[in-house]
Amino acid sequence: MHIFLMLLINGLAEGALIFLMAAGLSIILGLLGVVNFTHGVLFIWGGYVSIWIFSMTGSFAIAIIAAVAAGFVMGLIFERLFIRPVYGNVTAQILITLGLGVVFTDMARLFWGPNPIPAARPEFMDGTWVFGAVIISQYRIFLIIIGILVAIGINYLVNRTKVGMVMRAGIQSPDMVQALGINIKVYFAGVFAGGAALAALGGALYVPLVGSVWSGMGINNQILAFIVIILGGMGSFYGSAVGSIIIGLTVAFVSWFYPPLTVYTTVLLLLLVLTLKPEGLFGMAVRN
Amino acid sequence: MPMLTNILRKKPALSSGMLLFLGLFAVFILIIPHITGLTTIALLSRIYILAIFGMSYDILRGYTGIINLGHALFFGGGTYIAGIMFSRMGATLDILLLAVLVSMAFAAVVAYIMGQFAFRGAGFTGVIACAMITLAFGEIGRHTAETLREYTQGADGLTFRVPLMFQDRVMMYYYALLFLIIMTLILRRFVNSPTGRVLQAIRDNDQRAKFLGYDTKKYKLIALVIAGMASAAAGIMFALLTRFANTELLTVQNTLNALLYTIVGGTGTLYGAIFGTAFVQLAQNYLLELRGIHEIFSRWLLFFGAIYVLVVLYMPKGLVGTYLQLAGKWQNRKKAA
Repeated sequence: MHIFLMLLINGLAEGALIFLMAAGLSIILGLLGVVNFTHGVLFIWGGYVSIWIFSMTGSFAIAIIAAVAAGFVMGLIFERLFIRPVYGNVTAQILITLGLGVVFTDMARLFWGPNPIPAARPEFMDGTWVFGAVIISQYRIFLIIIGILVAIGINYLVNRTKVGMVMRAGIQSPDMVQALGINIKVYFAGVFAGGAALAALGGALYVPLVGSVWSGMGINNQILAFIVIILGGMGSFYGSAVGSIIIGLTVAFVSWFYPPLTVYTTVLLLLLVLTLKPEGLFGMAVRN
Repeated sequence: MPMLTNILRKKPALSSGMLLFLGLFAVFILIIPHITGLTTIALLSRIYILAIFGMSYDILRGYTGIINLGHALFFGGGTYIAGIMFSRMGATLDILLLAVLVSMAFAAVVAYIMGQFAFRGAGFTGVIACAMITLAFGEIGRHTAETLREYTQGADGLTFRVPLMFQDRVMMYYYALLFLIIMTLILRRFVNSPTGRVLQAIRDNDQRAKFLGYDTKKYKLIALVIAGMASAAAGIMFALLTRFANTELLTVQNTLNALLYTIVGGTGTLYGAIFGTAFVQLAQNYLLELRGIHEIFSRWLLFFGAIYVLVVLYMPKGLVGTYLQLAGKWQNRKKAA
């Protein structure tokens, strides 16, 4: 029983991290109709920048903020220079973001070296709570809380604020929004950069969990995030939240009982869902 | 050079100048191994083999409009199957034949299963789902090769011997050239066949092809199976050339290599992949030689990604496509004058 509870916590924490990636991907896909393969790279950069800043300042909070800022700025630059010319052209988007991914992965290797860099967990969260036989790491609880906060925050932003209203209107009819005197391009750039910042936040929070940062960690997590958004239904925000929890729990349980099967299980789960419900669990139309 | 344009457009052109040019070029290609060193021979052999990998991708990207991010699975699969069989069962021609049969079956079955899931969606989301699902399949392949260390030696790489007749570098050059010619003819035949025409219709407008009564998923499956088998064949030739396999062959990066060959050369032209492969491989080679001048030139991936982005943004038709476009404009102007 205590193992079950522990794995539940681990799975939810894992799910929260995947959610940070998947939420950004899903929003960018749902609102902009852009498929972003640079997400894994933003994740890596978030990780590296946070460690770099942490080693200079010693402050976990500043490191996280710096990582998020780096992701945001990279997102703005990517959107302006490379995504804007190819809005509406899915194939070109995939190709360009893949190319950018290669460049920035290698740049991370150039700056920080090819070997994994060890990372320490912030001291105040290094502890564990012990309830009888159940040991719960504080950092994992922290991750779960962050995940929930981000989910609530995004939901509030998109559905309850003026900014969210403009964004939703922009999907339906960008020309109309533009005609009403609102510069929709700024909103699009903001959405892309916001998604990028979430990916960087995911990277920055992932590194203390696994204890090191390396340039190969992007692709694994990006694939998990992809699985989540197909599983949940492309462009569905709720889908990506539910999908993240499902995949997080799956990864936690399978990797506890038989680690080599983890990758296969997540993909099999995806294929199973696709067979039974091709549009995903919460599938809905995205901007075409 | 209107003659070259005609060749690329697959129109019969019988001008004597063109024949002379082609003849000289053929002689040049044939005597190269006797006038250059082993490095050049190896590089050219490599280009011939990888060009088929690129062409197999063009069937998908250029002729059917599919982005398959797990394409390396077929190429690496071919190399690994040949390598494992050579090292376990002996390096003989019989085993090579068996390896060819096994990898063709492997490619066909994997492509079929991959396609069953990747081609479910339609339209905009279909393209994205296809890219993501094929990426996941490719990663499963890489992961499997890394897990089965007993057979594949994991990331260290598997070194093996090849049948005697493939050990001579000069002969290998001719085999690679022959392979390129035969495979080009086969694939050209395929893209110009009625099936190939349907694929192009699907590429141009999936929905229209469906309304015309074509089972588009079935045709996409055919394209994937053919491309997978061609790619696996190239993988086997690559095994014979390099006598080495490692998990790099199965990474997304290797898929991106094939994709770069086709987009640099020009998608939907088939021959473009040959030019693209040559360009990319020669550029890589050249940059590595500049390593002494500045360390940055050893970071091939930076240049790789940069070429990638620049080509997609500014030269989406690639070398051959852009050439055809310019040549077409030039001819029109001449006619008008």
